[in-house]
Amino acid sequence: MPSSISRRDFLKISGVAAGALALGKFLPPRAAEAARLYGLLDAASSGYIPSMCEMCVWRCGLLAKVETGRVVKLEGNPDHPHSNGKLCPRGQSGLMNTYDPDRVLTPLVRVGKRGEGKFRKASWDEALGIVADNMLSIKNKYGPEAMIFSTTHCLSQFQFENLLNAYGSPNYGTQRSLCFNAMIVSNLMTYGMEEPNRDYSQLKYIILTGRNLMEAISTSETSALSKAIDRGVKVVALDPRFTKTAAKATEWLAIRPGTDLAFHLALLNVIVSEHLYNAPFVSSYTDGFDKLAGSISQYTPEWAAGITEIPADTIRRIAREFAAAAPYAMAHNGWRTSNFVNSFQTERAIAILNALVGNWNVAMFPASGEESSGLGAPPQPSYPRISAQRLDGVPWKYPFVPLKIGVFQELRDAALSGMPYQAHGWFISRQNPAMSLPDRGRTLQAFGKMDFIVTIDILMNDTAWFSDVVLPEASYLERYDPLNIVGDKAFIRQPVIEPQGEGKSSLWIYKELGKLLGLGDYFQYADDEDYLKQQLAPLGVSLDDVRQKGYVDLPAESTEFSEPTWSTPSGKIEIFSSTLAQGNFAGVPQWEEPPVPAAGQFYLLTGKVAQFTQFGTQNNQLLHKYSDDPRLWINAATAKSLGLADNDPVEVTSDAGKVHIRLQVTQAIRPDCVYLTPGFGHLSRGLTTAYGLGACDSDLHVTYTDPISGGQALSQTFVTVKKI
Amino acid sequence: MTKFTQNAFIFDATRCIDCRACMVACSVENNIAMDKTRIWVAGIGLKGEYPRLERASMVYHCMHCAAPDCLSACPVGAYNKRDDGLVLYNAKKCIGCRYCMNACPFGVPHFDFDKGLIEGAFIDKCTMCPQRIDIGLEPACVATCPTDALVFGERADLVKEAHARIQAHPDRYVDHVYGETENGGTSYLILSHVPFTELGLPALGSLPVKDVSEKVMEFTIPFALGWGAVLTATAVGVHLVNQKKEANAKPPVEAEEPAEVKK
Repeated sequence: MPSSISRRDFLKISGVAAGALALGKFLPPRAAEAARLYGLLDAASSGYIPSMCEMCVWRCGLLAKVETGRVVKLEGNPDHPHSNGKLCPRGQSGLMNTYDPDRVLTPLVRVGKRGEGKFRKASWDEALGIVADNMLSIKNKYGPEAMIFSTTHCLSQFQFENLLNAYGSPNYGTQRSLCFNAMIVSNLMTYGMEEPNRDYSQLKYIILTGRNLMEAISTSETSALSKAIDRGVKVVALDPRFTKTAAKATEWLAIRPGTDLAFHLALLNVIVSEHLYNAPFVSSYTDGFDKLAGSISQYTPEWAAGITEIPADTIRRIAREFAAAAPYAMAHNGWRTSNFVNSFQTERAIAILNALVGNWNVAMFPASGEESSGLGAPPQPSYPRISAQRLDGVPWKYPFVPLKIGVFQELRDAALSGMPYQAHGWFISRQNPAMSLPDRGRTLQAFGKMDFIVTIDILMNDTAWFSDVVLPEASYLERYDPLNIVGDKAFIRQPVIEPQGEGKSSLWIYKELGKLLGLGDYFQYADDEDYLKQQLAPLGVSLDDVRQKGYVDLPAESTEFSEPTWSTPSGKIEIFSSTLAQGNFAGVPQWEEPPVPAAGQFYLLTGKVAQFTQFGTQNNQLLHKYSDDPRLWINAATAKSLGLADNDPVEVTSDAGKVHIRLQVTQAIRPDCVYLTPGFGHLSRGLTTAYGLGACDSDLHVTYTDPISGGQALSQTFVTVKKI
Repeated sequence: MTKFTQNAFIFDATRCIDCRACMVACSVENNIAMDKTRIWVAGIGLKGEYPRLERASMVYHCMHCAAPDCLSACPVGAYNKRDDGLVLYNAKKCIGCRYCMNACPFGVPHFDFDKGLIEGAFIDKCTMCPQRIDIGLEPACVATCPTDALVFGERADLVKEAHARIQAHPDRYVDHVYGETENGGTSYLILSHVPFTELGLPALGSLPVKDVSEKVMEFTIPFALGWGAVLTATAVGVHLVNQKKEANAKPPVEAEEPAEVKK
């Protein structure tokens, strides 16, 4: 797998690919001047510049070491609470993301058939002109709702939404329904917030359900869990695989997929029936305990044992231990429990478990939003009124899913079916629906229904490969983004080198496109720096100061003690949700039987590895160098019984499709499951490092949507495995 | 960060999550070729049978021994041991003999078979990042470790810290600090929850391998001289015996020979 090119060599190669422009490129003169002024860079343009990582959405603070205008090393920024001076392997590899020889360096316009990968270079003027013409033509012909906009959580998302709202389309796709809708919607129903903050410093007992923090790394949270384990905290990990997190846990429970709800219902049963809950907290701060007490009695540990395959004694013991550790006990609500259609209720049970031990203001705290007062913004005219209903069924089919989150897989299916109306264009920024949505075959068919597709990315990702126009973004080390609030500070992402080729920031792209669409009034900033200056205006701090320091302190909020309140209908933590009950869903969590694989079938599991983020980092040569081959895990005893051996090539088949891949025979998985490293099996031959590696889980995933949260039931796909 | 008189690491296998941030950081910091590395993840990885399992991984790189065998074995002085603990290697002096590879009990120095004599830089190994520690920064691997499985500091302090960790959690650790005495002491101190051999480490005594080899080497010259003397004496003896034999066997001829020689 490893190429024999040295890093120095491929830096040269990327320079050659970029043409003469990219060779020996230094900081933009003004940036270099300002950085030198503040002592960040010396006369030779060498030194450290603070900015923010974007190898995942955790966004650690970083210090970029620059030598004569090149980034040569990234360090974690000790001033940033997400990094605390550390970076994970993806963060460390970040400069290879910028210096990837496969970077798209100019706007590209398709000349071959879709998916053929034939493009010609174009100027920004021409490419943006083509995009604007197509978007205007679709708007005139079919109305603005015929244009889909989709993007993934990012710092320029507000300006993306600005473009979407100004254009007037209701059809907005994010990645969230493919990730953690169940968690977010259940927290909204229970706590009135998307995700409470967690604190590990005082914990004595943690239950991790589908939260593989040692491989799905969020640097500061991974570090906090590690420190807690070092202190001697008890960790119970529920996972059908022996993950690297399970290996660090005190106790690993190889629970049957889809039955986490039964386990947590039984914990609630023991804690309620044995009166182990924090009664003063429950009576003061929660609503609907009586209704839970009434319905939970049926869910005994003995009942759950048969479903989860975890002994009743173990469940009872864990419930007692958890309650005994109160309030220093936390059930992590996880992200990837949105694996079955019952995952919403699983998340509700977890949220209620936390409420019963009264860990508020001990382990869980009010969420600190990324959108805070204190920062300014460019003036914003009001948006046109949108009358068309959303294609993804929010809220008419999914009343509880927030508009900003949506149900992306439904949006894709509506684009394909043409119901309730046909979409004709798709505007995609820094997102790869060809890989991220379940059932890739259907996604490619949906692309086929589009008159026009445009993708903004730094690489020729798989969706860009099927697009009509590809617009090159500047990488996160090459551009500004709007300021990002973390705690009581706003942090800056700033260019530490000049963009490779003709890459441009999203702030610039949206504004220029907006102007061509006749929406210039919505983008009232002269350039990226002006945008940040307008954000900083109310604080009276100069952009140069923030660029030097890496952040700005925000005005302190009142620290006076106030009784905790929650933005729920009752103003309390809702154990019983009247909102859910009114929607004809269970007001307190109830058991919902998930489907099970037929004889000869396996549960198909996915889950992160430490070196990769979703679908975007597999082409990074440094991560490629230090990651394991993506193979299909199968339990050793199962493999033996099927006559399969390690490294055998196999065909994996689901209702959605089939893939070919090699086996990894291991002890670290349940005998009834197989596991596929996600994010491989790329279609784009523009990804020369990643192309041809592994298999695509999306080819196998069947689309199942949780009716309450709109989350994709990612593990509700069953497969057969046979030798080829 | 303060500078230390004896720079050293603790690697704590109970904290390592095998994320490989150290490997990427090292590769970038030291500009390592894409098909090379100075750090390996060693150890058995997964151990046991489903569902009773354990994992063990180790960040494996140069131990920076107090008495480095590589340095001792190098015939051209390409290695040196800095007073503050670093074992460094000078590529310019290396002749590619690979004695250091054979000498290192940890198998750390590795040879670049892709390169020929002319290109030089045959051997590579971890340097402890002198370019960083000399300006008060931690080595790249340590600085980025998200779980503090690697920590850096003064060796004497770290030895105490390592023992304190074992004392605080005797149930968690094997009761031994690997590298405290192994091979005469190393700058890389290792704590583990599994036997050290399962991390891929050799079982070594406290007497440095180098001391044994150098002791042996002390006899080389006397031995060579002695053996030479024995061989010389043997040769001379054999010659004399032969002469005697010939003299006894052919007295008449020999008697005539001087006359012939004279001719």
